[in-house]
Amino acid sequence: MIVQIAISMAATIAFAVLFHVPKSEYVLCGVNGAIGWMAYLFCISHGTGVVIASMWATLVLTLIARALSAIRKMPSTVFLVTGIFTLVPGAGIYYTSYYLIMNDLVQSMAKGIETFKIAGAIVLGMVFGLMLPQSWFNQLGKIGKK
Amino acid sequence: MPKSKSALSLAISVGEALLKNGGEVYRVQETVSRILESYGIEDYHVFVITNGIFATVYEQREDAGSMVRYVPIGEVNLKRVAEINQLSREICERRLNIQEALGKLEQCRNSPNERKLALVFACGVGSAGFCYLLGGRPFDSLVSFFLGVLLELFLLAASRRKASRLLMNILGSALVTAGSLSLYVAGAGALLDKTIIGGIIPLVPGVALITAIRDLFSGDYLSGSIRLIDALLTGMCIAIGVGGVMKLFQTLGGGVLL
Repeated sequence: MIVQIAISMAATIAFAVLFHVPKSEYVLCGVNGAIGWMAYLFCISHGTGVVIASMWATLVLTLIARALSAIRKMPSTVFLVTGIFTLVPGAGIYYTSYYLIMNDLVQSMAKGIETFKIAGAIVLGMVFGLMLPQSWFNQLGKIGKK
Repeated sequence: MPKSKSALSLAISVGEALLKNGGEVYRVQETVSRILESYGIEDYHVFVITNGIFATVYEQREDAGSMVRYVPIGEVNLKRVAEINQLSREICERRLNIQEALGKLEQCRNSPNERKLALVFACGVGSAGFCYLLGGRPFDSLVSFFLGVLLELFLLAASRRKASRLLMNILGSALVTAGSLSLYVAGAGALLDKTIIGGIIPLVPGVALITAIRDLFSGDYLSGSIRLIDALLTGMCIAIGVGGVMKLFQTLGGGVLL
């Protein structure tokens, strides 16, 4: 468990470096990524399946990213883009093309559709997270200032 | 130059820099509008899409001005987005005149990038981390680390030659797959799928997908569609790169099942 947290943090920070995030935000990006991944694992272990787990994890991640961006006075993209990388269906893209090459069309379609479903779930999670009014998060920003 | 024009020029330059480094369309639109307002211009129109900005001020007056900027989709640099955001906040608090603001914008544009070595190392760590998270063993992660390093070296070399982004994605994922397959055929004993997945993660269009959603969500359907197509095409290119190389190895190996 601790290994999972540490590795998801390290991987998120690595992507923060790749996208030239300001150095002062590296750790927070890592924390956000780790929380997202934990939420994902938590949902999976409660039997929600990959798609729904991606949705909940993205929702959690989006809310935390917005809170962080209000507190740290940073564009929320900084935390969103880096945090979401743990959830993006890179494995899905691989398996889809792998089964396609192996001429296992049934598996390929199944993986392809699952990849789209995960992408759609991420979209939904983020849209729910973005729907909350900005003024709630601005309150957090004031707390951060004190 | 009348003040309205120099203000417009400043505002649109700030917007351009923001858009170029990966800012969302709604953010650019808001920034340009706010800067114009803070220099006392009330009558203005701003239209922003993913790869362009159009703005006019004082349509009815003698000193009317209009400007257009073309902004090709470029490399994401969130540090500059954050800095330019800060700059626009300072302008809106009316702390800067136009000359000072232009000077600061120039600083933001030229703010130093991360060193190449750090990028290469980060790419390796990212690949290794994802390989582990998606079920790879420590040894697979090690292989993924080297694949990630290899990929970033390739991407840096390719970006210096201004190669097309789609081609870079195809070749990058092909390179990762070839690396992993060669090791697999040589009998290194690493899991094929996990190492490749770790290796291609840095190419996966996460940013494009998120920006697309945010654009669509704020009602910029045109910009959102552009980004969404960008994300889908990138995903497809990765699939082509991986699939093509696998097929090649399969054919060369006499139809051996991988």
